[in-house]
Amino acid sequence: MLIRLAASLCFLALFGAPVFAEDFDLTKAKRTYKDFCSHCHGIDMVNPGTSSYDLRKFPADQKDRFYTSVNKGRGDMPAWGDILLPDELDLLWKYVVTRGGKEPLPKEEAAVPATDTDQTQQHGSLTTKPGTLTACLAKNGGVMSSRRAKGGAGLDYALVTALADQMGLALEVEWFESEQEEESTPIRELYALLAYNVCDVMPGFALYETSLSAFYKTRAALPRYDNKPAHLGPEFQVDLEPISVSDPYARMEMGVVYRTPEFEREITQIADMEGLKIGVEQGTLAGVLTLRQGTSKMVADSITANPGPDFLWKMEQGAFDAALVTVGAYDFHKKQNFVSTLALDEYRHPIGFNLSVAMLKSRRDLLDQIDPTINAMIADGRMAALAKKNKVTFSSPKEPWVQSNLTMEDILLRR
Amino acid sequence: MKYNCIKRLGLTATIIFGVANAGAVYAQTADELKNDTSDPSSILTYGMGYGQQRHSSLDMVNADNVGKLAPAWAYSLADTRGQESFPMLYDGVMYVTTHNSTVALDAVTGRQIWKSVIEYPAETPRVACCGIVNRGSAIYGGRLFRTTLDAHVIALDMETGEEVWRTKSIDYKAGYSMTVAPTIADGVLITGISGGEYGIRGYLEGYDPDTGERLWRTYTVPAPGEPGSETWKDGGDAWQRGGGPTWLTGSYDPELNTVYWGTGNAASWNAGLRPGDNLYTSTILALEPKTGAIKWHYQTSPNDPFDYDATNELVLATIDGRKVIMQANRNGFFYVLDRTNGELLAAPQFIDKVNWATGIDLATGRPMDTEVATKARTGEQVTYYPSAFGGKNWSPMAYNPDSNTVFINTFKDVGMQYKAVEPQYRPGVFYFGAEFAWAWPEGDRGELRAIDPMTGDVKWADSSALPRLAGVLSTAGNLVFTGGQTGEFEAFNAETGEALWSFNTGSGIVGQPVTWEKDGKQYVTVVNGAGAVYALFSGDERLATVPPGGNVWTFALVE
Ligand code: HEC
Repeated sequence: MLIRLAASLCFLALFGAPVFAEDFDLTKAKRTYKDFCSHCHGIDMVNPGTSSYDLRKFPADQKDRFYTSVNKGRGDMPAWGDILLPDELDLLWKYVVTRGGKEPLPKEEAAVPATDTDQTQQHGSLTTKPGTLTACLAKNGGVMSSRRAKGGAGLDYALVTALADQMGLALEVEWFESEQEEESTPIRELYALLAYNVCDVMPGFALYETSLSAFYKTRAALPRYDNKPAHLGPEFQVDLEPISVSDPYARMEMGVVYRTPEFEREITQIADMEGLKIGVEQGTLAGVLTLRQGTSKMVADSITANPGPDFLWKMEQGAFDAALVTVGAYDFHKKQNFVSTLALDEYRHPIGFNLSVAMLKSRRDLLDQIDPTINAMIADGRMAALAKKNKVTFSSPKEPWVQSNLTMEDILLRR
Repeated sequence: MKYNCIKRLGLTATIIFGVANAGAVYAQTADELKNDTSDPSSILTYGMGYGQQRHSSLDMVNADNVGKLAPAWAYSLADTRGQESFPMLYDGVMYVTTHNSTVALDAVTGRQIWKSVIEYPAETPRVACCGIVNRGSAIYGGRLFRTTLDAHVIALDMETGEEVWRTKSIDYKAGYSMTVAPTIADGVLITGISGGEYGIRGYLEGYDPDTGERLWRTYTVPAPGEPGSETWKDGGDAWQRGGGPTWLTGSYDPELNTVYWGTGNAASWNAGLRPGDNLYTSTILALEPKTGAIKWHYQTSPNDPFDYDATNELVLATIDGRKVIMQANRNGFFYVLDRTNGELLAAPQFIDKVNWATGIDLATGRPMDTEVATKARTGEQVTYYPSAFGGKNWSPMAYNPDSNTVFINTFKDVGMQYKAVEPQYRPGVFYFGAEFAWAWPEGDRGELRAIDPMTGDVKWADSSALPRLAGVLSTAGNLVFTGGQTGEFEAFNAETGEALWSFNTGSGIVGQPVTWEKDGKQYVTVVNGAGAVYALFSGDERLATVPPGGNVWTFALVE
């Protein structure tokens, strides 16, 4: 009889309404458990406990152990970190601590789930930590952001300092390392950091049509950041969430850099560099534009090199005479190399991206304070001054605020 | 492609021939394999003979003296997984496999001669649905052949245990694994694949036993345009993840030079998404061993929604002068087919409760579906019998040709609550496409049955609280051996079903008993070690008091 009762309970839980499921998606948790774990830990976690761990006995206060064991494997149990999606791991944890949805979530779980975006309401504050504005900045962000023994440097660092100031909040920076891997693009890192509530705001968001929408409902890995919990392996992925962006505070543009004054030309379009030995930054928009908008002779004689700080250094050494690069890359090169023969022409390619501050949509009320501050700083010249101080060649934002998706025409049309 | 295979085969045959003729001490010739049943001092083929009858002519241990059966030795496999290995025996040496080792033992003393350890990536067990097990080996020409969990086929030197060759069949990460004991037929090493619940596309493969070179691969799910593809009417790519695994060893008829192999269920379980019969899933295949070409097929569960594999062992017999194969199918019916052409001769129901079909139409060979089956296919919630465990699970039955009786460990009145849902495919993750829960009976869940294969008439039955998942062994000593998941190794009177003897081996038995003779003395061997499909999936907490841990147990009469 007991067994029958147990069986019918299981059945109820399987098809029926979950009892304590308000805090998480029990149906999904159950399915995830069944798909990944049931063949060793038993359906509904019921197993004799003789060769696989009895998960009904897993200590509810040992979340880290759970994450570590499941991510990395333990004893006879295989590792799951590279195959489980982050929300799945989270759901499995909740499934296990609620004993399969039969008990309520422990208090601390319900209050601060790692990816709960509603925390703002609970604290009555727009930021994760009341009284503090947390910003994510790249340690390796060139002239825009870099870490110092105390605080940081760069235009983005200066901007978030000013914003926190204006809002009457303390500033806390979460420094992350932008990974240079193929799959992780900076934009996905940004989405992941925000979705995981690592910080409230992130400057440096290039306003490009796709970037504003394309990543919602997909997942991305978190980059490394200073306070990243140990149990989140590199495989860990975050469910991305919609974001909101501020008014633009600066503009990222591409310009022509040449070596020594003797290679200077009157440049109104890329094709005007003809006659010079041209460098092409491989795999970047600037590189593509050079190839598509340059003359065929120019392109035939050009030298292709990997992107990154080495690119301009190659030019410094004489590998080529001129190239189209982002102005920020030039600024960074100049900053790193006091003695340099490179100069930036006044020409700017018409394709450019306005930079803004990004945040989760659920925090968009922060914009009530951020937008006026940014606009005032541009209007009264403070932004330009901060840029100059940080050795950034400043361009103010240009209409349209958001660069629409590039078309073939944009890329082919000589400009 | 075909041309190539044939050319390679020509080459191979001469090499094999050369080895066999060299007459090394350990050489097992094709003739020895064929005549396995006639020499009780060796066990050279999975199932005790190519026909897998698991019946021995030995009668030194018999219904009169079995009470004096006692352990001769036990050998620890040092492993806590479920043990399903079929022991092989040649020249006084016994060969047993686990998921991570192969051992050679002195058959009389149980002393280890060698142990060969197998390593596989730690992630592999993710894709083993129903237990980290291995079911045994094939031996031939001085070599032992086996498969690995991460889907490799390997050959070991029988004398030293050293690896002679290793061939990767496929990438395990996509959900494929191997637990099957391979077999040798017409000089070709043939193996199947597991992974039916992971959205694989099943196949059988033939290898050159000498070099490990793959000679052929026959998919059990045809690609568009191939014969049988017309039975996948979804018009999409369901076939790519169509299932049809081949995880239990096939039989071989040397006279007809035909290999018989059962295939598993179609994937996902959501049959509504793959309209059509879905050949060759849940099908009995007759194949040409040298090329893998399909000679004929008989499908037991067309468009199956219930996980009714047709992988169960195919027992060869001669009944009423006809060469037949018999299968106690998961779906609850006992199939008897003419093995020369696949014609259905009989299909009695061999368990009490079946509600998905009223029977098998002998004229068309097709099941007569009930509302339960049609509703299941259209996504309605149903309770079906027998459950996904089947009327009988993988554990092999025995057939006594003298009394024309089959001895089967069946599941008793176990059903399943079921509802098809949209499956989500991710490589290496369960691809069920259904929500399910067990519907347990109030009383016993298992029954050992002695039945007449043509009629299904039950001669006797012995029910048990927990279903038995061990193989069955029949002997001319009027005995039937099997084991319980709670550890008892048991002997029954084959005529009456009377329980005559039992011995607690200390861990559950889900292995395969065998019997053999050495120097005029009969021995009975079984591998114990609780675990595998029922222990993992049933959540039956009565098993909590049965510790894991595999041993090879060998018994003989006390003198
Ligand atoms: C292939 C079988 C298998 C699968 C599948 C499996 N586990 Fe395990 N698990 C085990 C075994 C065996 C142990 C005991 C490990 C040990 O301590 O040696 C275990 C232990 C554990 C533990 C306890 C670890 C500790 O810190 O003591 C947790 C938690 C766990 N499993 C969670 C999971 C989750 C969640 C899943 C599904 C993502 C899962 N397991 C899937 C076999 C498995």
